[in-house]
Amino acid sequence: MTDESPNDDRTESRDESDVRSDATDRRPDGGTAVESDGGTDVHSDGGTAVGTELTVPARKADYEDDSDHDFPGMGTIRRWFVTTNHKDVGILYIVTSLFFLVLGGVLAWLLRIQLWAPRTPTTTVLEPLAYNQAVSAHGLIMVFWFLSPFAFGFANYIVPLQIGAKDLAFPRLNALSYWLYLFSGILFGVSFFQGGTFAGGWTMYAPLNVPTFTPDVGASTAVLALTLFVASVTVSSVNFLTSMHKMRAEGLTLRRLPLFTWSILLTVWMMLFAFAALLAALIILSSDRLLGTTYFTLESPAGSMLWAHLFWFFGHPEVYIVFFPALGVMAEVFQTFTGRRIVGRKWFIAAMVLVALQSFVVWMHHMFLTTINLQIKTLFMITTIGISLPFDLMVFALIYTMLKGKIQFKTPFLFVFGALLLFIIGGITGVFLGAIVLDYEFRGTYWVVAHFHYVMVGGVTALVGGLYYWFPKITGRMYDEFLGKLHFAIYFVGFNLLYFPLFVAWETPRRVFDYAPALIPWHQLATIGAFVLGLSFTIMFYNLAKSAFSGEPVGDNPWEFATTAEWAVPSPPPLENFPGLPTYRDGSLAFRSERRAIEGGTATDGGSSEVRSDGGEQTDCLRDSSEVRSDGGVTASATATPTDHDHDDHHASHASIWPFVVGVGTFLLFVGLSGMQDAAFPEGMMGSVYVSLTVLGSVVTLGSLVAMALEPFTGPELVDGETWPFGDLEYGKVGMWIFLASDVVLFGGFIGAYVFTRVAFGWTAWEPIPSNPIPGLMNTYLLLTSSFTVVLALVAAEKKNKWGLVASLTTTFVLGVGFLVNKGIEWDHLFHEGLWLSSNIRASTFFLTTGLHAAHVIVGLIVTLYLIARAMRGAYLEDNSSVEYFGLYWHFVDIVWLFLFPLFYIL
Amino acid sequence: MFIVTVRDELSAHVLQTGIVPRGTRAFVFERIFEVFLVLGTLVGVVVIGYMLYNAYKYRVGSGRGSDLDVDRPVLGELPTGGGGGKKLFTSFLLSTVVVVSLVSWTYGTLLFVEEGPQAEDTMEVRVEGYQFGWRFVYPNGYAEDGTLRVPQNQSVRLVVTSDDVFHNFGIPELRVKTDAIPGTETETWFRAEETGNYSAQCYELCGSGHSFMRATVVVMEPEEYEAWYETTGGSNSTSNTTQERVSL
Repeated sequence: MTDESPNDDRTESRDESDVRSDATDRRPDGGTAVESDGGTDVHSDGGTAVGTELTVPARKADYEDDSDHDFPGMGTIRRWFVTTNHKDVGILYIVTSLFFLVLGGVLAWLLRIQLWAPRTPTTTVLEPLAYNQAVSAHGLIMVFWFLSPFAFGFANYIVPLQIGAKDLAFPRLNALSYWLYLFSGILFGVSFFQGGTFAGGWTMYAPLNVPTFTPDVGASTAVLALTLFVASVTVSSVNFLTSMHKMRAEGLTLRRLPLFTWSILLTVWMMLFAFAALLAALIILSSDRLLGTTYFTLESPAGSMLWAHLFWFFGHPEVYIVFFPALGVMAEVFQTFTGRRIVGRKWFIAAMVLVALQSFVVWMHHMFLTTINLQIKTLFMITTIGISLPFDLMVFALIYTMLKGKIQFKTPFLFVFGALLLFIIGGITGVFLGAIVLDYEFRGTYWVVAHFHYVMVGGVTALVGGLYYWFPKITGRMYDEFLGKLHFAIYFVGFNLLYFPLFVAWETPRRVFDYAPALIPWHQLATIGAFVLGLSFTIMFYNLAKSAFSGEPVGDNPWEFATTAEWAVPSPPPLENFPGLPTYRDGSLAFRSERRAIEGGTATDGGSSEVRSDGGEQTDCLRDSSEVRSDGGVTASATATPTDHDHDDHHASHASIWPFVVGVGTFLLFVGLSGMQDAAFPEGMMGSVYVSLTVLGSVVTLGSLVAMALEPFTGPELVDGETWPFGDLEYGKVGMWIFLASDVVLFGGFIGAYVFTRVAFGWTAWEPIPSNPIPGLMNTYLLLTSSFTVVLALVAAEKKNKWGLVASLTTTFVLGVGFLVNKGIEWDHLFHEGLWLSSNIRASTFFLTTGLHAAHVIVGLIVTLYLIARAMRGAYLEDNSSVEYFGLYWHFVDIVWLFLFPLFYIL
Repeated sequence: MFIVTVRDELSAHVLQTGIVPRGTRAFVFERIFEVFLVLGTLVGVVVIGYMLYNAYKYRVGSGRGSDLDVDRPVLGELPTGGGGGKKLFTSFLLSTVVVVSLVSWTYGTLLFVEEGPQAEDTMEVRVEGYQFGWRFVYPNGYAEDGTLRVPQNQSVRLVVTSDDVFHNFGIPELRVKTDAIPGTETETWFRAEETGNYSAQCYELCGSGHSFMRATVVVMEPEEYEAWYETTGGSNSTSNTTQERVSL
């Protein structure tokens, strides 16, 4: 049901009764809507209502003047480079990811063209190596640059609205995530032009992934692009987790979060840890490729297995990372279009939590044919079957939700319904793979290909449904329903035409373009399906592009049974999202005038109640849920007049160019680094180009980071709300803790790689690289002392002792430099003993792991310098949180050394 | 070791019942695959059929939803569940039983496959993958690239490794497959009941020649094989080659 009111200017309809009847009339079912459920009648408790309540759904007039003076309008190009608003960033993510969908899709077409017929080496369309590149790039682009970012476009746009936040906790970091994502994608694009991109499959098995076997510069670039992408994910994970735990509206406890937000919350937790493991793998791989370490080379005692473990430890959670958001979309859309609340909601959530936890203990089922023994196989078979069962529950929950529904087959529901159907097929064929005896034979065949495409592209199907679902919210206009349905019909036919024949032709080996002639008809069907599926998107692009400008305008809520908060605000929502502070204190969504909430301070405890100044006018329709669910959000009442309190205090500034510049800097830096091999740049002109890009990139990156730190920027302030489990910690501290948690996994990956390699090598046969542990011991003392001086710095800051602060920080700096100098001397000695990165595996692990730690020290020292410079000007005496967060980081770096020292010097 | 004992006990019991498929790997695979296909299709048809039926039944045009006295979701409410927990759990338990019993059933066969054939009547061949081909090394030291010859009706144990990158050695028709990993060895086995030529193939992307990284597996009459093996001129007398393997 689209909104047929010609509004968008709801301020005109001020006459309350008029509008109410209007709204009632236009309720399409005319049915049971009018009685409100008792629990929501807040005003029955004798006038202790808190603050000034505004209407739900919100009206434009309720918002303060939302023109931010510094902020360019949506129509300007500048806006998109400086924006930090979560909705803008969400749109950027969605648009960019769709671009990568097209890119990955074109690569898929190339593959399918090649597979039209079995090819001999002379009759190929793509050269064999080009085919391998297309296979690898298709997988990498779809999994990393399309699927997750597409889902996170919605997460960016919708999650803050659903949790009742104005923005994410760190808006500039959110923009930074986006720019790193975009530039990592461009970097991947560059790799095609550097002799060819990575050609070893998206799983990048060792040792095919080292330069001995994939010597192209482009292969290194692809690995670096992935590393940059992971950096983006890490920044984003920290941001989302902080926001979702700290910024929920009052009454919105974790248990009560909408399911889409739940799915994202769990996705981000999985991302935080899984991508940290991938980061470890990628840093090691980059080091092998650029610096010449020998972790994954043929000579390494267990390089292949090490990569497989590291990759799949990330890789299996990744399956759920890309699928969970789709699941969340399915749950939301099912509820909205069936007019039913989801069956077994808490079990649905419990199932998701279980899967999220268990996803970290199933990775070896990708390795059943390696050397792992029967006991481990059995264990992983059990965990694998175990992880499939919660999905059964979720599927049934969705199906049962339809019962007694009033199912409207609009485009979003069609896609999501189709997605569920496809997921059921994907799930059943996955059980085949859970039986190890069958898995042995399916390994490396199209059964696997067909299965995971049913699951993953099934997920895409749901996300496309999500795109149609939220399109009116994002653009304020309705898409064309007929074209939407047409898209679905063609998409669904194309999908099954493409992927179902692959089950029939399952005996085809993966990533091979020569196959049994008997399978030709099936592969040709699949190729036709690929074109049908791909071309169906042109309908979507046309529909959405056209509708974005000329579609029917919609009100707040074009869907009859939508419940979540994003539908209670205008479409598109104004910059600050809500007309007041959203709260669920009384059992359903209400907006409280922000001024009161802020002045009242402790709005949570109803005790600080303020008598509604103008309440009489509101009560009529305010909490009447029947109004709330009406269509166009045209409900109106007199409102709390927004008082003109200090504008700037409550308006976060939204503009910053620096995240973009950081993106440019890292891009240049990584292009430059890609030219490196064996820790040296090539000779000649290309070499100089790479060197200059590296230098330029470093300068730009560092400079823009400093500029970003110095830039005055007000993020969202702390508001009263649900913050479990972080209580009243500030955003910065929560963010730092979460980041450190991922850093623990990063170092865990490195230490794990060391232990794994050493065990394969023979634990006792392995001599520590430094024959003399004394420099290491000295460094331990230096670092411990520097941790102590950081504590002193904080104490000085608390006592508002400026020079004490400066002196303690300077001492920390000096001690840190001492650590590095000492290490430099030690490394110099080792170098002259003939030991360097590539000497042997022992040297590689020593230099790289302690080198990663040294890099952490260097970052810490740069921050210290920055802190000293600001402290000299009297900073941190009022607000010493920066010093405190730095302290956390520094202590962590110190603790890591306490693990590294015995592992690399003593044992 | 306890686990191993329990496992052996278990497998002995399970194997004796006869429900668990045993035989050549091709046979056990086909049997299990068949059962999975039939059951999988059945479950799929039932679940998807039920889903489509209800979607049709409760479509808004049917008016059925409007007749029901159902509390519909409203905007701004705190999310809650819609009941129906009992039904959900029944279905969940049912699906759990199906999946768990199905996979447990295959576990018996897994034990059988993992245990492999008795050592006495097994011959062993070392398989070395390289970019882009396969080398087969026989017990007498004879090595041949591209062709593996084995006698009919004899269990063959393959010890597989790689000279360079990660490969995967598979003979699809005989349903045998294992990773070929540099620096380490994996083991697998098969038994061919029919003579003839089979093809072996690499199943892990390994570089530009991956699509054509094949070998031929020739299954010969035992006598014919013996005769051929004699000509390979290894250090061992061919007649007791298979006996030799016992000591290894």
